[in-house]
Amino acid sequence: MKFSNHLIILSSIIIGFWLDDLLNPISIKLFLELNFGFFVFSYWIFALPEKLKTAAPLFYGLVTDLFFSNVVGFNMLFFVLTSYIIHLYVFRFRIFSYFQLSVFFSGSSTLYIAFKYLLLSPYNYSYIVLTTSFLINAVLWVGVYFVMRAFRRSFF
Amino acid sequence: MARSTPTYTPVRNYAIGFLLSAFILFSDIRYETFANIRAFVHASTLYSQMISRGLSENIGITLVSFQENKNLFRENKELKEQILKIKTQDFIERKDYKEKIQIIDFYQTAIGVFKNDVDIFKIASLDLTNYLCCSSHRIYLDNTSQVQIDKNVPVFAGSSFIGQTKNIYTNFIEVILFSDINHLLPIKSNAFYCDARGIGKPMLISCKASKNNGSFENVIGDTVFTSGLGGVFFKDIEIGSISGINSLSIDEIEVVITLKANPLEETFYGVMKKVHDEI
Repeated sequence: MKFSNHLIILSSIIIGFWLDDLLNPISIKLFLELNFGFFVFSYWIFALPEKLKTAAPLFYGLVTDLFFSNVVGFNMLFFVLTSYIIHLYVFRFRIFSYFQLSVFFSGSSTLYIAFKYLLLSPYNYSYIVLTTSFLINAVLWVGVYFVMRAFRRSFF
Repeated sequence: MARSTPTYTPVRNYAIGFLLSAFILFSDIRYETFANIRAFVHASTLYSQMISRGLSENIGITLVSFQENKNLFRENKELKEQILKIKTQDFIERKDYKEKIQIIDFYQTAIGVFKNDVDIFKIASLDLTNYLCCSSHRIYLDNTSQVQIDKNVPVFAGSSFIGQTKNIYTNFIEVILFSDINHLLPIKSNAFYCDARGIGKPMLISCKASKNNGSFENVIGDTVFTSGLGGVFFKDIEIGSISGINSLSIDEIEVVITLKANPLEETFYGVMKKVHDEI
């Protein structure tokens, strides 16, 4: 894959995390933590598994960590893990319904949020936040999926 | 039939990636290994944000100043237009005021001379080409208020008669001037009586007189009055003065009279309401 394509993917992930940074201070009052950045990353791995292997998640994670995280390595770790799981079941995912995909990706996102709280802010760990985020993100995933698919088709 | 979906995911690379990121994460949480790099990136981001914000603010200020300049230009233009409008209004008001004063003066003069029964009209048009060159000397008075005026009544301007009404139209009054060749005016002076006819030249009328009817020596400059013999004009109203004596034959002369009132200098004309009984 060309470097410009990597830049486009990275830019879209950064925009997703930037949106999270922008909206989460508001949404957290409703016990909801949005996770657009993670969804965007997951979508790219899901859509282009043969092009994005191990190095890409590491690099994307590193950049995201540097710009949006309080520690370096967290997004790298999660991106690699998610990438591995998606790669492992990518053909199975192709026959999944939207609902099943929503549940899987929303679950991954909730796991991401849960580990983030556990590692970086254990005092704010909340099951209400996790439950609400799981439900809302499951719905949001469908939107992100279609938007990103339209975006991908215009570039790749 | 395949029992599971095909996969080709070498675990080694992922394991290396996992271990590497876990190591980095641990070292950063435990020892803050990458704190400086993170701080540098955050500081760079903040600086970029500050710079971009400053730039956007400057652009915004520039745009606002452009808009303000535009508004000022528009306001300036509007003010200029208003000043022009006020100047024009002031000019019109002053003109109106001057005109009113003229009317009042004229009316006072008219009442002084002719007592009552006078209507004041403003000139509507004067056929200047005809007036300066040819025989027909007519003026038209504006009668938009449609005042009832009779035909053949005296018309005066300044302090003297100037002609008489010829026709009355809906909004205009046609006045035939003394200098029109079709107009005949009974006049008198100390030396003679005669019917003076217009000669088709501005402010000039003439009459033929017999040398036997009086002495015409040293009469140039003598004042000429209306005689009142036509039954239209008052008698003894000064209309002009003798400006020339031309000999036509052995016993006949032409007396040229220059009229007192000049239609080119008059704006307002007084018209008698009815033919006066006094002769």
